[in-house]
Amino acid sequence: MATTTLSKPALQPKGSAETMPNRRPKTPLSRILATVIVAVLAVAWLVPFAWATATALKSETDAASTPISWIPASGFTLDAFAKVLQSGNIPTWTLNSLFTSAAITAITLVISASVAYAISRIDFRGKKMLMGVIVASIIVPPPVLIIPLFQQMQALNLIDTYWALILPQVIHSPMVFVLKKFFDQIPRELEEAALMDGAGRLRIFTTIVLPLSRPILAAVAIFVFIGAWNNFLWPFIATNESSLLTLPVGLQTIKSAYGIQYAQNMASALLAALPLIVVFLFFQRQIIRGVATTGLAGT
Amino acid sequence: MSTARTTAPAKTSAPAAKSAPAATSPRSRRDNIHGWAFSAPFLVFFLLFLVWPMISGAIMSLTGKSLTGANSGIIGLANYAEAFADADMWRSLGNTLYFTLISTVPLVVIALALAALVNMGLPAQWLWRLSFFSPFLLASTVVSLFFAWMYNPELGLFNDLLAKVGIPPVAWLNDPAVAMWAVVIATVWWTIGFNFLLYLAALQNIPQQHYEAASLDGAGGWRQFFSISLPQLGPTTVMIVILQILASLKVFDQIYQMTEGGPGGATRSIVQYIFEAGFTGYRLGYSAAISYIFFGLILLIALAQVFATRKRSA
Amino acid sequence: MKQVDSRPMQMTRRQLLLGGGVLAGSLSLGASLTGCGGAAQAAGNDIRFWHLLSGGDGIKMMAMIDKANADHPDFRIKPTVLAWGTPYYTKLAMASAGGRPPEVAVMHAARVPGYAPGGLLDAWDLDLLAEFGVRPEDFGSRIWEKSQFNGQVFSLALDSHPFVMLYNTEVADKAGVLGSDGRLADISSPSQFLEVSRELQRVTGKHGLSYGYLGDGAQMWRLFYTLYRQHGADFILEPGRPAQVDRDVAIDCLEFITSLLDNTISTKSGDGGTAIAEFASQGSGLLFTGVWELPTMKTAGVPFGASTIPTLFGTPAAFADSHSFVLPHQATLDESRRRGVYQFVASMLKNSLSWAEAGHIPAYQPVVNSPEYAALKPQADYAHAADIINYDPVAWFTGSGSDFQGYFAENVQNVFLGRDKAADGWDAFMKRINTVLAMPNPV
Repeated sequence: MATTTLSKPALQPKGSAETMPNRRPKTPLSRILATVIVAVLAVAWLVPFAWATATALKSETDAASTPISWIPASGFTLDAFAKVLQSGNIPTWTLNSLFTSAAITAITLVISASVAYAISRIDFRGKKMLMGVIVASIIVPPPVLIIPLFQQMQALNLIDTYWALILPQVIHSPMVFVLKKFFDQIPRELEEAALMDGAGRLRIFTTIVLPLSRPILAAVAIFVFIGAWNNFLWPFIATNESSLLTLPVGLQTIKSAYGIQYAQNMASALLAALPLIVVFLFFQRQIIRGVATTGLAGT
Repeated sequence: MSTARTTAPAKTSAPAAKSAPAATSPRSRRDNIHGWAFSAPFLVFFLLFLVWPMISGAIMSLTGKSLTGANSGIIGLANYAEAFADADMWRSLGNTLYFTLISTVPLVVIALALAALVNMGLPAQWLWRLSFFSPFLLASTVVSLFFAWMYNPELGLFNDLLAKVGIPPVAWLNDPAVAMWAVVIATVWWTIGFNFLLYLAALQNIPQQHYEAASLDGAGGWRQFFSISLPQLGPTTVMIVILQILASLKVFDQIYQMTEGGPGGATRSIVQYIFEAGFTGYRLGYSAAISYIFFGLILLIALAQVFATRKRSA
Repeated sequence: MKQVDSRPMQMTRRQLLLGGGVLAGSLSLGASLTGCGGAAQAAGNDIRFWHLLSGGDGIKMMAMIDKANADHPDFRIKPTVLAWGTPYYTKLAMASAGGRPPEVAVMHAARVPGYAPGGLLDAWDLDLLAEFGVRPEDFGSRIWEKSQFNGQVFSLALDSHPFVMLYNTEVADKAGVLGSDGRLADISSPSQFLEVSRELQRVTGKHGLSYGYLGDGAQMWRLFYTLYRQHGADFILEPGRPAQVDRDVAIDCLEFITSLLDNTISTKSGDGGTAIAEFASQGSGLLFTGVWELPTMKTAGVPFGASTIPTLFGTPAAFADSHSFVLPHQATLDESRRRGVYQFVASMLKNSLSWAEAGHIPAYQPVVNSPEYAALKPQADYAHAADIINYDPVAWFTGSGSDFQGYFAENVQNVFLGRDKAADGWDAFMKRINTVLAMPNPV
């Protein structure tokens, strides 16, 4: 059974795993060989970014001219970016994505942490059943729900609203499980002392448990946020109005509107990729650890 | 949702239901109230946006309900009967299984190889992680735009590369024999960083002493990998494979964006068929029935996996 | 089993605060974005307008919208362009069913039977329309007939855009098939058409005719239905009973088309893009295409004329559809916006001469009868096509970019490629159509 046992450090914050080999020293030759292979693959992995960037910096004529070339005949230009920013809705869509992802993350954290706390700490009737149902729900694939959810949102008159985007995306059963496992590890003595002092459950939860759980809360938040930011199918179904679209869905409409304007297509794709890539560059360590921590538990 | 990303796991036999022993008094009325009060917010969303859609979807699958609200009367199992005789549904299911097979293998094997190489103590670990993991942060639409452009028959990077080594151009996204592979290549590029990270974490979790002991016995790098790393990674691999299969079965985004399921339905996945039956064909009831058939398949696969892993550990 | 640990993942307080700040910031920002309950809210006089026109048509449409906006300060049209065909029609149906669709949209007239009965569209109010100077008699009779559904007007056509034939005047002249009036000599039988095509092929050295169809059900259907209707045969689809068609005529048409695709007259396996490129580079003398490719050929600088597809089987007929304005059903109707829509549509119809420049035949007769239109060449040469146009058979699943055309492609492409017999392809298509007809109409 695979669970997230919180025992051994996996990816160290700083130090050994980062800078030193954590195996016995290899022969230099094999390590050089490995470095070369990995470096070649890493370069290959960056090609799509590089090619998109090169295309986005060309004029439309250069982008569509054969034979293809990395260096455009008439020089690099920022035209495509300027056009996309002027005519498109990319800033609006970015705000929509930011807002809905943040709202989804915030709601998910609040409701998941509190139910996980209850299951971990409070001895109440029906809790086994509750946890059982939550764990069982992990198996339900979201695409199975699109038809009834659409119908439900239609009946509530919420299609084409932020509500329709946010509400159905806040159930992350695996995250409840991850949080519960973490809460289980927090020493009970800390809470019991507070209980003796007459502190209420809510107070203990917010002033003792949550602050101690920052790392796992951050990990869950990162995971949920990335998932929400990139989600396509449900936002694609729930919204039609251009000013309400999230970035991934909006991009899909740009592709058809511009048709064969390759430089502008690539410029919009890069602009859409930018926010998360920038965040990643700043918080690489946290994001990687967050994903590794929650990853095996699923989204 | 429905990307080839690793999402819902198949942990049905989780020890989660095992409650932590109460340190203090037995259940009190207060605990009952507190427990449900803390659970209530989640429960409300859970009931409204998961349990109820599951129920209403099941009911809808027994009706001929359309997008416009017409024909909402119960017609029994007619939708299911029709679906089981629907060649397009079987074809979409077949496409989905095919995609799952040919994407899961590279997504696991290459990820493991990459992690093993990087874990050999290469310098600048952050750089490799950055390279391989950053595509995972892209939205499916961005990935599809990138690859559709690289697959362009005349202006694309791939055919240019082929031309340089004297291979005739390939209609990557328009040739029924190639299109699914083209989608898989894009998918591997996009999501491999996730499995790579999990493997890397697991590798770094293997106690150093194992290797030290082995090297005292004179085992070389390869032997160490096969006799120590690989067995130690067993449980991780099982989880990654399970997660990957369940994620791949839900594929929709990148296929819909790159090929719209074409050419001629050659890449249409079952989720796309659900979408089309419901929203293009207006047949919500029929679409709900196919959703449940798909759900049944997922359940079967999950159960098979639970059964298989239990047997292994027994 | 050891798995991943979370403990070492220390987030510093500063990072956490920063994260929280971003979260809170975007939440409050979103709250202000949502406005009234988070619903799609446009400014007071904004009119949302969806269409599916891209490329040259899209640029023309954009210019016409800009002009309408400039002429009428009372409203502001905000266009949204979606991909032609299935993606557009799927989203339009979803938006209409969802209750907050655009105030006005473009739809192919032949698609209306798939929308109107389910209450996804509202009917046009002829009195209100007359207020803005648009009357039924302003439309050609076939077009006006098509705008009706169940006795109400659901679509107002901007144009009709038939499937036509372009010919290279230089090549035709060299082949000796150009009349003294500078137009292609009359062709009135299948054998004559084959003969002329071969003459043209001898001049170009490549092909006589360019016709691309691979992977494009609409393109296969357009030519087939033109020829089928030239036989005077009916094509009637009634839910609950098998399709009423003339099987012999259909097979005859398929066989004739296949005989054109012999790699001499025309390439056996060409797609739309290849055909256009071939005609544009003078690699052929004839092009079967929609009128909307006219601007492409003008840009390419080919010397060409245009006509309807020659009447080879007795009855003049041309496949066509119309870009029409429709009113997606609003859950809550805003009267002043709807007036704006009427005003906008009236303005577009009256200014449809610039739409004619894109090749389409305006539906609004005052424009067609104007001297400016008569001066448009070669548009004016096929204006009479409006009298012989044939829309798709009426059914909820037919029309441009519909499943119907998809089914046609699935079964007929292999006939065109010479891999299947015409009779087998046709029977398989009919079987498919009859299955759909046997099911209850979901609209």
